[in-house]
Amino acid sequence: MIRIENVTKVYRNGEIQLTALKGVSLHVKPGEFVAVMGPSGCGKSTLMNLLGCLDSITSGKYILNGKDVSTLSGNELAYIRNKEIGFVFQSFNLLPRMTILENVELPMVYAGVPARERRARALEALARVDLSERIKHRPSEISGGQRQRVAIARAIVNKPSVILADEPTGNLDTKVTVEIMRIIQQLNDEGVTVLMVTHEPDVANYAKRIVRMKDGCIIDDYPVQNRTVL
Amino acid sequence: MNLMENVKMALASIWSNKMRSFLTMLGIIIGISSVIAVVSLGQGGQHTITGEFEKIGANTVLITVESSKAELSDYITLEDVKQLKEKVPYIRYATPVFQVQGQANSRLKSKRAYIIGGTSDLYQVDNIELAYGRFYNDAEYEEGKPVAIISNSAAKSLFKMEDVVGMTLDIGSDSAKKSFTVIGVVKNQIEMFSDMTNEDNLPAIIYMPATTLKQLFGMYGATTQVYIVADSKENIESAGNLAVKLLENRHGNRGREIYKAEPLMKQLDQINNVLGIFTTFVAAVAAISLLVGGVGVMNIMLVSVTERTREIGIRKAIGARTGHILFQFLTESVIISCIGGILGLIFGIAGAYGLGSIAGISPYISPGTVIIAILFSSAVGIFFGIYPARKAARLDPIEALRYE
Repeated sequence: MIRIENVTKVYRNGEIQLTALKGVSLHVKPGEFVAVMGPSGCGKSTLMNLLGCLDSITSGKYILNGKDVSTLSGNELAYIRNKEIGFVFQSFNLLPRMTILENVELPMVYAGVPARERRARALEALARVDLSERIKHRPSEISGGQRQRVAIARAIVNKPSVILADEPTGNLDTKVTVEIMRIIQQLNDEGVTVLMVTHEPDVANYAKRIVRMKDGCIIDDYPVQNRTVL
Repeated sequence: MNLMENVKMALASIWSNKMRSFLTMLGIIIGISSVIAVVSLGQGGQHTITGEFEKIGANTVLITVESSKAELSDYITLEDVKQLKEKVPYIRYATPVFQVQGQANSRLKSKRAYIIGGTSDLYQVDNIELAYGRFYNDAEYEEGKPVAIISNSAAKSLFKMEDVVGMTLDIGSDSAKKSFTVIGVVKNQIEMFSDMTNEDNLPAIIYMPATTLKQLFGMYGATTQVYIVADSKENIESAGNLAVKLLENRHGNRGREIYKAEPLMKQLDQINNVLGIFTTFVAAVAAISLLVGGVGVMNIMLVSVTERTREIGIRKAIGARTGHILFQFLTESVIISCIGGILGLIFGIAGAYGLGSIAGISPYISPGTVIIAILFSSAVGIFFGIYPARKAARLDPIEALRYE
């Protein structure tokens, strides 16, 4: 599924060099639910960006679904982001000028899906996150929890094999957090692999496995005992 | 990702910033409309002039005497004109044109007169249209009868009525006048400023046989200008050349290049050339404003790219390729320019008719002008949109996502 070996990432800003990842290796099997934890600046966001094919690795190897993606071009990476990966962000990242429905349809626009099929699949994805009303509204007209559900619908609409969630509940209160985590667990139960960055132990406890990072290295990797199951 | 999708997205984005989009378009609107107005007025002017020339006669040739070289004996006499018409095969009509300033008196009124004399062919050569009566005939010409055809405005001013056929009129110089019978009235010609000027102030235009005119003013009766009309377009040149040859034979001045034959259509070409150059020049100046409009489009697109950095990041994260983003922004700038172009076209045509009605030129809007205007405005959109669009397409997705 996901296999990275000895991956480093170095940022250069003029004279200053910043090594964000110092030889990280990780193997995630299909159907896993991994929480990546660690203090800020530990490199967990960098890891997520690399796994999400938003950024290229400096050295090492990244195999996604049996394909070496460390050598792909920008447009090939865009294709993989579109087909294989679904992103869920802390700040939802919905397009404010589009309706809920249009937001969910957008990944399929880039995939070249015909309009009629787009509409049907978007409605289906929205139904899976329990959101069938207000779909003609704009993101600013619905609550934070609803926005994150729209973002999840958008992430799953192209039926990706992996969902990458970067602090998906960071901007939400406890009650809504539970709602969102229930949806993510459901998706995981249906076979979608989930990688989630979080710094809250409560949230990490919804996962099946926890990876701890510090200073650009993985320092701990263990299965979750007494997992919270909704 | 097809074109319709892009156009829909671009329209939504333009619509969400109505005021800004309109102001951006304004540059294009002003540019296109001024170019359209100038070009269609210029072409309208050319059409008007061409039309006038064609009315006079596409087959007309002007025979002139080079007055700097000519002696009195070289001038073209009435007998020469007669011979031209009889002897030269391709000539259908021939007339000299004498123009004399004089005086015309009716019982009611005295008026300045502008007297034109020729053969009876003058009627066809000058394409005179009569409202009442008739033009003088060959017999009246040969005998030098005191008959006159006067302009409509002269009739109204001298007799206070329009149909003055059969009335008598004293025509001549201040000292010597002769009594004439009016046999025709010329239809009112559209004269510039005719509405603004009292017709009493316009000189009376009077046509009469050249023979009569000659007697009236006691002239030598030779001229430097003769109009001939060829029987067909193909024979224009031959008619001119043969006419010059005949005149040279009759005056025995071959080799001195006294006479020159010039088809009127050639003059038209020259006038149209000058007008064309002038139109192009003014249009080029107007096109500069289009360029400024294009820079405005680029400016706003750059602002728009910066404002929407995060949006671009999101789009890239969910799978938009470089080409998708490039095309999205390019579509937007092309649509802005195109809408500007179409509005500019409408305002330009309206402006051309507005200005045209003031200047007395009816504008000519050719399909070519319309097509070029639309194509040119899209080209402006592409040219000035490509830089901002490339900038947007090349944004790094992570940095774009982080942008606040």
